[in-house]
Amino acid sequence: MKIGFSQLALPEDGAVAVGALEGRVLTATGREFDARTGGALTRAMTASRFEGKKDQTLMLLAPSGVGVARILLIGLGKADGIDAAAAERFGGTAVAQLAGAGDEQAAIVCDAVDGAKIDAAAFAAHAALAARLRAYRFDKYLTKEKKEDKPALKKVRVLTDAADAAARAYAPLEAVVEGVAMTRDLVSEPANVIYPETLANEARKLADLGVEVEVLGEKQMRKLGMGALLGVGQGSERESQLVVMRWNGTGREDSQPIAFVGKGVCFDSGGISIKPSANMEDMKWDMGGAGVVVGLMRALAGRKAKADVVAVVGLVENMPSGTAQRPGDVVTSMSGQTIEVINTDAEGRLVLADALWYTQDRFKPKFMIDLATLTGAIIISLGTEYAGLFSNNDELSERLAAVGKDVGEPVWRMPMGDAYDKLIKSDIADMKNVGGRDGGSITAAQFLQRFVNDLPWAHLDIAGVTWSKKDTATTPKGATAFGVRLLDRLVADHYEEK
Amino acid sequence: MRVAFSAAPPVDAPAVAVGVWQGGRAEPAFQRLDGDGALSRAVAAGRFEGREGQLLTVFAPPGLAAGRVVIVGLGAEGEMTPQRAERLGGALAAELLCSGVTALSVAFDLGPLAAHVAVGLRLRAWRPPAELRGRPDPEDAPTLAEATLAGGDAAAAAYRRLDGIVDSVLFCRDLVVAPGNLLTPATFAEHALQSRQDGVAVEVLEGARLEREGLGLLCAVGRGSAQAPRLVVARWLGGAAGTAPWVFVGKGITFDSGGISIKHGEHVHEMKGDMGGAAAALGALRALALQHAPVNAVAVLALAENMPSGNALRPGDVIRAYDGQTVEVVDTDAEGRLVLADAVAWSCATLRPRAVIDLATLTGAVVVTLGRHHAGLFSADEPLAKALLGAGAAVGEPLWRLPLSESHDEALKSDIADMRNCAWGRAPDALHAARFLQRFVPDGVPWAHLDIAGVADATEAHPLGPKGPTGFGVRLLETLVRG
Repeated sequence: MKIGFSQLALPEDGAVAVGALEGRVLTATGREFDARTGGALTRAMTASRFEGKKDQTLMLLAPSGVGVARILLIGLGKADGIDAAAAERFGGTAVAQLAGAGDEQAAIVCDAVDGAKIDAAAFAAHAALAARLRAYRFDKYLTKEKKEDKPALKKVRVLTDAADAAARAYAPLEAVVEGVAMTRDLVSEPANVIYPETLANEARKLADLGVEVEVLGEKQMRKLGMGALLGVGQGSERESQLVVMRWNGTGREDSQPIAFVGKGVCFDSGGISIKPSANMEDMKWDMGGAGVVVGLMRALAGRKAKADVVAVVGLVENMPSGTAQRPGDVVTSMSGQTIEVINTDAEGRLVLADALWYTQDRFKPKFMIDLATLTGAIIISLGTEYAGLFSNNDELSERLAAVGKDVGEPVWRMPMGDAYDKLIKSDIADMKNVGGRDGGSITAAQFLQRFVNDLPWAHLDIAGVTWSKKDTATTPKGATAFGVRLLDRLVADHYEEK
Repeated sequence: MRVAFSAAPPVDAPAVAVGVWQGGRAEPAFQRLDGDGALSRAVAAGRFEGREGQLLTVFAPPGLAAGRVVIVGLGAEGEMTPQRAERLGGALAAELLCSGVTALSVAFDLGPLAAHVAVGLRLRAWRPPAELRGRPDPEDAPTLAEATLAGGDAAAAAYRRLDGIVDSVLFCRDLVVAPGNLLTPATFAEHALQSRQDGVAVEVLEGARLEREGLGLLCAVGRGSAQAPRLVVARWLGGAAGTAPWVFVGKGITFDSGGISIKHGEHVHEMKGDMGGAAAALGALRALALQHAPVNAVAVLALAENMPSGNALRPGDVIRAYDGQTVEVVDTDAEGRLVLADAVAWSCATLRPRAVIDLATLTGAVVVTLGRHHAGLFSADEPLAKALLGAGAAVGEPLWRLPLSESHDEALKSDIADMRNCAWGRAPDALHAARFLQRFVPDGVPWAHLDIAGVADATEAHPLGPKGPTGFGVRLLETLVRG
């Protein structure tokens, strides 16, 4: 689906989405349509339960007196509640309703609204962003899908009084859309297609955008002593990989980078501690953290962010086999610390242990943020609305919480402390890889913290938010890419040279 | 255990405690008793560094009348806090409770903070009521009966208020540890009635009265048991007449079998403690009464036993709550939120509360979420939430805030009633339960919900108590109200 901005003029054909404020108040274009159609919009609103409240919609088919095929009214709520999030709900809802309606062209009308919290250009840019995000579809394997089941919409024009300003505001967001789409693709792909080497190959493509990509294989990792990561992958025929991506956005050689680290278990069968069969197919997205980190790099490089960023993803496949790691095995991590592997299905933290250590050891970053679909416990804890945030640093936590709210990828901070750390004591090694059911996400975070030295660090447990079972305004059901927008905004707001 | 304070506690007691700060500096009592250096030599020989809570016992030290001297690591010098003082007392109690020693002299002088050493001693020395044992094992019987602590009048004055608080924590623990055959809604109500002697006004709603009041959810949960449910309303009105009271609502399922959605496994017996919220609410009220606190507070206890029977609540039943909303009960083992919903709504409607705080051993999910070191705090009222967090931190009963969100209404949608009581599957049940309760709180009433399922019972001994009930919530609420 292509998207573009045009100066506002009354659309003559195709489908049109127009906003309406709470209290059945049409915006300017809506009023004009209403006048041209002899009051059809007003009559339709009165005849229905559409009041202009947030997310309400009303579809008018082939209204007489105008050339357009359909007019979709979308509730914007109250004028003073119109912010970027409202614009995104508007744009996303428009595409959700119009994509499959049959029209190839649609106009999303962004009338200026007095009293709104954002200006018309920002509104239009965010509506366009959401339209693109919501139009995402992973349909490459649907070889027999009927034409009428495929979205017909090919071209969307976003109409606004401030088309040039909107296009400028949208340009960096377009890069974010590309990053999100890349992440969603990686996460949606099945594990026979995306495995450590192919995921590494996808990351290599970022070189086209100026990202420096380096891939370490098992031999190199063995040399570095990454026994924790390698132990997880040793049951699989697929070779484990560690991908290092560097984006030097400041052009300076000597600056201290910020770092993102992702868990990339391309398929997690659980290993010898094998999972029950029901829903095991979901474990193709146990590389969600790595997927987000790769997509984030694409977004940052795509919009030429003025920041120096290093990203590291640990890629493995966790399989049971004659060479697999056994419960009870003791492995030595790159840090030198030993780990008793009680449960081979608590493997993400083993991968991250070495990836985190490697990142801080080699790059001495300002901070590290890791992302991982790490624990089932976080789903019991926070459901599918919030990612769990664990951190040793208040400032970083507060920034993450604030930008999360802004972009609709909220995080909720969880506690850490010695009392929890004690739960991963092992009788024969420096630590064990599980701490029991109680506070299961916290003990996982404590485990990770043992591989973080004295630098600001945050861990995002995204197990509950990586895959959505339902459509939302900006995300069709499936892979969400939760984290790409969050971290892109974190970088933009706090770590970029202006 | 009896505790007393003295300017000069006896040094010929069966056990005398002296202190060493971290880094090795001995406090004055140690120096006084060191005589020919027996204590110093023990410290030098024993890998003793004065770390907080480190203990070293010297038996029958030459030249001293004491049976033993216990050298206590006091931790970093100049940073003594009430909580640390309590942990030191706890460490001493753990060491000496069953040691044969009957009396302890705490010779190290922490000034007024000695009051907190006494608190720690008493809390850590708690045992389940002796009547539960037919033939106590003499080896295991507590011997330590009295403690005299340095600190003099200042400590004694500081302790006066704390004494009733400790009594109330222990009272709460006694209730929680009592098995379901001894502690029923009826006997729990009797325990509450006994606090009339402390000036608490107690009212018990039961039988037809409960039905007439419209507490449909409480009645429904209790229906399967031969032990009828009750709503206990205990009032401490020490403040100005007419001042809006603090209201503590407690979940009091005296035994939770799960009902028709019956529980299974090795932990069901622990469900005798599913009244921990009610015990804490009553304990906190008692703590206020014992110190004649100039405040108004009400404890509302929703008491019922959840049992399967021919008359029990069934999965699928639709019940009308006190406030008129209807609930489809899809799981009879999600009963705590039902009795609380009625008690909270009833309290809001009839007590004109300043704030309502409910406490409940509500969900297993909160244990998965926070483990056993924080209780879950849910509140939409910022000042109340902040005050609770502060009170919890001050008394070592830490809370962690968790999100309250309307988004869970979707998971709680029922096909035939206003809501269902829980969702199935891998769901954030603690969040669902909190949102469920919130729907019974009228707008404008400051309300907080504490899910104490992870902290009401300790799975192992800790500085202020043995394995078993902690009394979590009593000190927290007392501190909240007293500021």
